[in-house]
Amino acid sequence: MRGLLPFLAHRLFRALIALWLVSTVVFVVMRLSGDPVPLLLPPDAPTSEIMRVRRDLGLDRSLPVQYGVFLGNILRGDFGRSIHFREPAFTVVRGYLGATLELGLTAFVLATLIALPIGLLSAMKRNSFLDHAAMGVALVGQSAPTFFLGILFILLLSLKADLFPTSGRGDWKNLVLPALTLGAFTMASIARLTRSAVLEVLGADYIRTARAKGVAEVVVVVKHTLKNAAIPIVTITGLQFGTLLGGAVVTETVFSWPGIGRLAVQSIYNRDYPVVQCTVFLAAVMFIAINFLIDLLYGFLDPRIRAH
Amino acid sequence: MELTRRNLLKGAAALGAAGAVPATLARPALAQITQKKELVSAQAGDISKFDPHFSTSSNDIRVSFNIFDNLTSRHPDGKLYPGLATEWKLEGPTTWRFKLRPGVKFHNGDPFTSADAKWSLERTFDPAVKTMVATVFTTIDRIEAPDPMTLVIHTKKPDPLLPARLAFYGGQIVPKKYAEAAGNDGFNAKPVGTGPIRFVSWVKDDKAMLDANPDYWGGKIDVDRWIMRPIPETAPRVAAVLKGEVDIITQLPPDQGERVNANASTKVQGALYAGLYVLAVNSKRPPLDNPLVKQALSLAIDREAIVKELWRGRGIVPSGPIAKGDNHFDANLPPLAFNPKEARERLKKAGYKGEEIFIETTVAYVAQDKALAEAIAAMWKDVGVNAKVEVIEYSVRAQKNREKSFKGVFWSDPTSTLSDPDGMMWRLLGPGGPQDYWREAKFDELGNAARFSVDEKFRGEAYREMTKIFLDNLPWLPVIQPYEDYGVQKYVEFTPNPNQQFEVRKFNLKLRRA
Repeated sequence: MRGLLPFLAHRLFRALIALWLVSTVVFVVMRLSGDPVPLLLPPDAPTSEIMRVRRDLGLDRSLPVQYGVFLGNILRGDFGRSIHFREPAFTVVRGYLGATLELGLTAFVLATLIALPIGLLSAMKRNSFLDHAAMGVALVGQSAPTFFLGILFILLLSLKADLFPTSGRGDWKNLVLPALTLGAFTMASIARLTRSAVLEVLGADYIRTARAKGVAEVVVVVKHTLKNAAIPIVTITGLQFGTLLGGAVVTETVFSWPGIGRLAVQSIYNRDYPVVQCTVFLAAVMFIAINFLIDLLYGFLDPRIRAH
Repeated sequence: MELTRRNLLKGAAALGAAGAVPATLARPALAQITQKKELVSAQAGDISKFDPHFSTSSNDIRVSFNIFDNLTSRHPDGKLYPGLATEWKLEGPTTWRFKLRPGVKFHNGDPFTSADAKWSLERTFDPAVKTMVATVFTTIDRIEAPDPMTLVIHTKKPDPLLPARLAFYGGQIVPKKYAEAAGNDGFNAKPVGTGPIRFVSWVKDDKAMLDANPDYWGGKIDVDRWIMRPIPETAPRVAAVLKGEVDIITQLPPDQGERVNANASTKVQGALYAGLYVLAVNSKRPPLDNPLVKQALSLAIDREAIVKELWRGRGIVPSGPIAKGDNHFDANLPPLAFNPKEARERLKKAGYKGEEIFIETTVAYVAQDKALAEAIAAMWKDVGVNAKVEVIEYSVRAQKNREKSFKGVFWSDPTSTLSDPDGMMWRLLGPGGPQDYWREAKFDELGNAARFSVDEKFRGEAYREMTKIFLDNLPWLPVIQPYEDYGVQKYVEFTPNPNQQFEVRKFNLKLRRA
């Protein structure tokens, strides 16, 4: 067995490269998207004023120099000052992070808790009414645009049925509709994948053997089936976390949820480079960290991977 | 059940029908009164700045005009009333004397004096402060504070509109001592004014919490607390008012008005916008440098249809560059004509050869801009104009606006900041103004003379003459003067302000309780 430390070092190195690439792409794309200065000043501001603001923001320097300063600052944990809010970009993003984590984790947990049993049941009762219904709903969940789902939930579950508030952040009731909306795609993906992964395992020889030697069905399902089907399920679950971060942009806008998705969109419109860079960087860190954990999880789930 | 396409379609149809039923909540008797002591309102964007001298955005001024007072106050009826100044008079052509309101205190307990007023107004144009309202008081030469309750303003030339200027943005009075100590960023984070509400807290993109100022000189407002929430999307914003979660929503699109009115507990309230929606023209670019072409474009626009179809009747057809409700609006002038036949003839006379004419439209910079652009492009094509619609983003528009590099026509919603043509057509179309794409010596001469004249009869004549020149040259193609609508609970008694101010003072906002 190869040592854990070299493995971790290797993964960490790859994570750093990924972060560097993400930062560079955001840096370049934001600068291609246009100049923030016209948005900061009244339309009749004189040219001298424009030049002054450009100098203040460091935008008068050449792109390679700006890029060097940007990378150096990131290494020190400094993402610069928000052009729009006039405070450190990290402070701004931190203020929004809690709301996104609350929404994202709820959606994630909700999706997993609902999708796993449904996928499993669908596989066990293959071709039953339950299977068809569940997979039909999953198909809708996977194909309906987040925007449409969100508004549909507001109209039906809030305005008509009066079960939940229409929008905004508050107690747990405010969380339900946005979490369902955000989690819908993930839920559907996990349910469908669980079903196919379990079906594949159910056809395996060792399951037949287990049943033949009279192992209780519960043990067959939990110990022999689920554990063997876990690798693809865990993989898709980790990757779905990225979908959740992306979906947050639309969900947070529809439900006026004060999270980083909405912040990112507004900051792009405001050409607030530091805030966009900081948001994307933190999102990438979260995504990479989750998938890093999942890589580690593989080893626990499958001794064969540990052996490599 | 077999999962067939037919069953799936049935289900989809049922879902669609459920969503389309008007949301009438059956609480008609209760709808008319409330026990609430808290006002919740929602607007389409979050506040960006509380410091009133650093923003002119409507999302900001709805709140800042209530945290702060001005020396003069423009009420929703369009008239000027006393604010922190109780009276003012002109002493000689360039000297205004203001008597200030005694006994007024800022929210932190500091007394309001002429030193605060002088410092606030000077702050707006102080080059070191770099405010967003630096051009509002360019007519001021110097300000004196001879005693704590008197302010004397000397203007460079006669300025008949000074009291009007003081009522709108830039004119909010901030506390000198506190603002100096807090610095610009500190003051913006914890603003202090003399207004009817005081700042409590702000969670970005979530809500701003504001409490009633119990000692307000104009009387405590009708609620104890006011919460302003941003709800950017229209559908959830409308749902929030229909369901009674919020008391007032702003920016209610015309196509949602019927729903709000059909609901038992809500109503639509609107004010005719103090301004116009226009297609501003880059008159330097051929063929738009030819007045005949612009006349043809104007004649080809069926504004009646636009008002009826796109605005469900919630707007009027403009007659020229002066908004209805402004000083010197000429009620005898006919609405801008729709005459496709004449349009074709003028194009022919102009020697138009099918050159492309671009409409560079934004999406939701002004209400329904993209839909309007598409409708107008179709109308222009009908008379043989090679019209092209291009969609640009806000920031691109801001850039082109600064560089004056629009390819053809573009959306603008000139606001009448002073209830006077000087604050609208002359501010924007005058020499060096943000929309200076066309010059005519006579127009400039009259605009300048009217700005500096205290003779209203002369000014009226000048603006009548300028309107004629405008209609021949059309530096703007005025399209509509819309209503700005609000969705309001029926127990709310509130009159919207035409200029996007949001007046919560006691005289303008009441919740019916008994």
